[in-house]
Amino acid sequence: MKEVYIVSAEQISIQQPLVDDWMSTPVSYGTSYIRSLDPSFKDFITPIEGRRMGKILKRAMATSITALKHAGIEKPDAIITGTGLGCIENTEKFLGSMCNDGENLLAPTSFMQSTHNTISSLIAIHTHNNGYNATYSHRGISFESALYDAWTQMQLDKITSALVGSHDEVTPTVYSLAEKIGVNGKICGEASVSMVLSTSDRCRQSAMCRLAGIKIMYRPSHQQISDALKKVLSDAGKRMTDIDAVVLGVNGNADNDIHYHNNRDIFENIPLIQYKHLFGDCFSASALGVYVAATCINKEVIPEHLFINNRDKKYIRPKSIIIFNQSDGKNYSIILLESLCGE
Amino acid sequence: MMGKPIYITGTGIVSAIGNDKQHTLQSLLRSESGIAPIRYLNTEHNEFPVGEVKLSNSEMRAILGIDEQKPLTRTSLLGAIAIKQAIKEALLDDRQLNSAGLISGTTVGGMDTTELYYHDIISDNSKNSYINIHDCGATTELSADMVGRFAFVTTLSTACSSAANAIIAAADMIRSGEADIVIAGGAECLTKYHLNGFNTLMILDKEPCRPFDANRAGLNLGEGAAYVVLESAESVNRRSITPLAILKGYANACDAYHQTASSACGDGAYLAMKNALSDGETRVSDIDYINAHGTGTPNNDESETAAMKRLFGDNMPEVSSTKSSTGHTTSASGAIETVICVLAINNNFTPVNVNWKNRMENGIIPVQDIKPIKPIKNVLCNSFAFGGNDSSLLISKYN
Amino acid sequence: MENLKIELKNKIIEVLNLEDMTPEDIDDNAPLFGDGLGLDSIDALELIVLMEKNYGIKLRDAAEGKKIFQSIEVMADYISKNRTK
Repeated sequence: MKEVYIVSAEQISIQQPLVDDWMSTPVSYGTSYIRSLDPSFKDFITPIEGRRMGKILKRAMATSITALKHAGIEKPDAIITGTGLGCIENTEKFLGSMCNDGENLLAPTSFMQSTHNTISSLIAIHTHNNGYNATYSHRGISFESALYDAWTQMQLDKITSALVGSHDEVTPTVYSLAEKIGVNGKICGEASVSMVLSTSDRCRQSAMCRLAGIKIMYRPSHQQISDALKKVLSDAGKRMTDIDAVVLGVNGNADNDIHYHNNRDIFENIPLIQYKHLFGDCFSASALGVYVAATCINKEVIPEHLFINNRDKKYIRPKSIIIFNQSDGKNYSIILLESLCGE
Repeated sequence: MMGKPIYITGTGIVSAIGNDKQHTLQSLLRSESGIAPIRYLNTEHNEFPVGEVKLSNSEMRAILGIDEQKPLTRTSLLGAIAIKQAIKEALLDDRQLNSAGLISGTTVGGMDTTELYYHDIISDNSKNSYINIHDCGATTELSADMVGRFAFVTTLSTACSSAANAIIAAADMIRSGEADIVIAGGAECLTKYHLNGFNTLMILDKEPCRPFDANRAGLNLGEGAAYVVLESAESVNRRSITPLAILKGYANACDAYHQTASSACGDGAYLAMKNALSDGETRVSDIDYINAHGTGTPNNDESETAAMKRLFGDNMPEVSSTKSSTGHTTSASGAIETVICVLAINNNFTPVNVNWKNRMENGIIPVQDIKPIKPIKNVLCNSFAFGGNDSSLLISKYN
Repeated sequence: MENLKIELKNKIIEVLNLEDMTPEDIDDNAPLFGDGLGLDSIDALELIVLMEKNYGIKLRDAAEGKKIFQSIEVMADYISKNRTK
C-alpha cells in the first residue's frame, strides 16, 4: 500500500478561520443557525477576481490557497472537491428570479456560478493547473468521495499530490427548509475545508499525519460495518487496541445520532470524540471531522472538550484515530489517520 | 503510463433517439435525429428545439413498476431505466450487484421537481417530500434504490463531463483492486433551470444544431441516461462473460482558462485526448473514429478542432458529433456517447454528423456516411465541460 | 447625456458587482473590455440583459454587443438613440 500523507489542512467554519484556536478557546454559541466566521478575503483574491464570487467560492479559494502555501506545493497533480449542495446561494438567486419573475431577462452570472464544479475549476484557473479536476456531490459523503478518489489515484501511482476539499454554504432558505423536514442538527454550521495530500518523501517531513485507510459503504448491515472496520485496520497493520479515539458525527438530532449509537459496540472501549458541537453540521462537515483528527494527531493532544466519554483519557497523545461518519443512515465512511511521530 | 484494460460487459441507454440499445442503433444506422420542438417540458421558451426522451414520467414509472405517489425526479427515473438495462445485459445476479459500486454523473439532480413545486416548497408543507431530493446525490440514491442494493454509491458533478468522469473514477477503482464490478454513467433530464441558464449564455440555437458547420449557431439541449458495467479481467473470467468492448484508456485534464469558454487552442481537450492515448498505449494512427464533444457552439467546435489537429495532424481519423441526433445531454453525454461508441465498434459503422453542410475555416469534414473508411477498432470519446473539465475515453474492440 | 452616463456607470457597477468602484473611477472613453476595466464575455452578457431591462434595447448576440460596449461614451450614445424605455 502506498503511503499517503495529509500535509496540510485548513478550514473556514463557525470557529475561528484558518487557525487552530478551537482547540484551546472554542467559540460557543447560543443559537442553532450560525454562518461562518470569514477571514479578510482581500488577502487571497483581487477585487476583479472576487466580484463574481459568492461566499462559498471565496472560502474555497482562501482555504485552498492557504493549504497549498503551508504544504509548499504550488501545482498539485489533482484538484478534487466535494460539495453537497454546490453554490446554493447562486442557485437560489437564479431559480428565484425564474420562478418569481418569469423566464426572461435572467442574469447569466448566477447561473454560471451555480454549477457544482465552479469551485474546482476556479481553483484551477487561479493556480493555472491543467491536472486532474473533479467534483463530487453526494450529500454527507461528498468529502469522503473526493478523498477516496485521491487515495485511489495515489495507490495507482497516477498522482503524487492532490488538493482535496469540501465546501458547503447554508443560506437562510437551506436552513429553514431543513427545519421544515426536521433534519438540522442541534447546531447548523457551514464548512470550507481544504487539505493537501502527498505521497512524496519530501512532504513526509512536515506532514500532519498519514491517511492510512478509507472505506465508503452504501446501506451496509451492522455486520458489514464491523467487517469494514476490521479490514481497514488489518490493511494498515493495526488492531482495535491500537486506536486512541474514534471521531463520531453525532449532532444532537436523534434521527442522526441513532445510527452512531447502533454501531457504537463496534468500537469496543475506545474513547469517543465529537466535533459538531463546535463546528455545527452541514453536508461538508465530515471534512471538519478529518481536519480535527489530523490536527489532534499533529499537535499530539485531544482537547478535553471533544470527548464524549472516557474523559480520563484526555492526556493521551493520539497516534491512531478513526473517523466514522454516516449520512441519512445510508452512506457510511471509515477513515483511519496515523501519526508519523517516532517513525 | 499504462493501466490495466477494463471490460465493458453491459450497456444501458435512453435518449431522444431511442429508449434502449436496439432502438438507438436503428436510429444511428438511419442517421435519424431525435431533436424536435419541446413536448414534455413546461416552459415559455418553445422556440428552442430539444432532444427529449420520448417518455413521460408516468410512462417511466410504469416501466419500472413504481407507483405514482412516490416522490421521484425525472433524472432518477431515466437513470434507473438505463442502469437496469446495463445490469440485465451484463447478466449480473443479485449477489454480484450487492458487491458492485455505482458511480453516477448528474448536475441538475432533482431540479425538475424543485422548480415545479418551488412556491409550495417555500411557502407551505404540501411538497416537503421533495426538499430532500433536490440534490445530486439524492437522485443517484433514488435510482440505486429502484434497481437493487449496491456496496458503494457516489455522484460526480462536473457538468457536461460528469458521466465520463464517473466512468473514469469507476475504472480507477477497478484498476486499484478496490472493486471488481462498478456500474458507471450519468443521467440528466431537461429542466427550465438549465434551459434558461444556457439561454442567458446565448449559446442555444433556435434551429437544429450543426456541429462543426461554418454556420453553426449554438447547441440544442437534450436529456437522457446511459450506464456501462465495468469489470476487471478476473471478474470477466470468473463469470465467463463475453465483454462488449474494452475501456483501454482514459484521462481527465483541466483547461484552466475560463468558466464558460474553452481556450482557443483547446489545451484541456488536447491533454485529455493525448493522455487517454498514452494511458491506453495507443498511437494516434491507431484511432479509427472520434466521437467528438461537438456541441455546435462556435467556441467548442473551434477549440476542439484545434485540439484534434494539434494531436492528430495528418493522421486525423473519422470524426463526428452525435449531438445533432441526441441533443446535448449535458451530464449524461459522456456515457450516452460511450454506448454509441460501443455500438459503432460492434456494428462497424461511423455515426453520421447530422445537419452538417459547410466546412469551417481550417475545419474538419465530419462523418457523412455510416460506412467506415476502415474497420472501427479504436475510438476516442470526448466530453468537455464548462469550467474546463475535459475528459476523454479510449474504447476498443474486444476480440 | 451626462446624467445618462452617470446612471449607466452606476448600473454597471451594480450589475457587475464592481465593489469599491464609483462612477468617478470609470473614464468615459476608456475601453471596458480587455485592457481598461478588464471585463470579459460574461460581463458582456450581463450588459446585454441590462440594455433590455433598463432601456428596452434588444441586442441580437454577443458580437453585436461587443461593438456597442466599447466605452461608456459609445454605450450612452447608442442608448440615447435607440432606447424604447
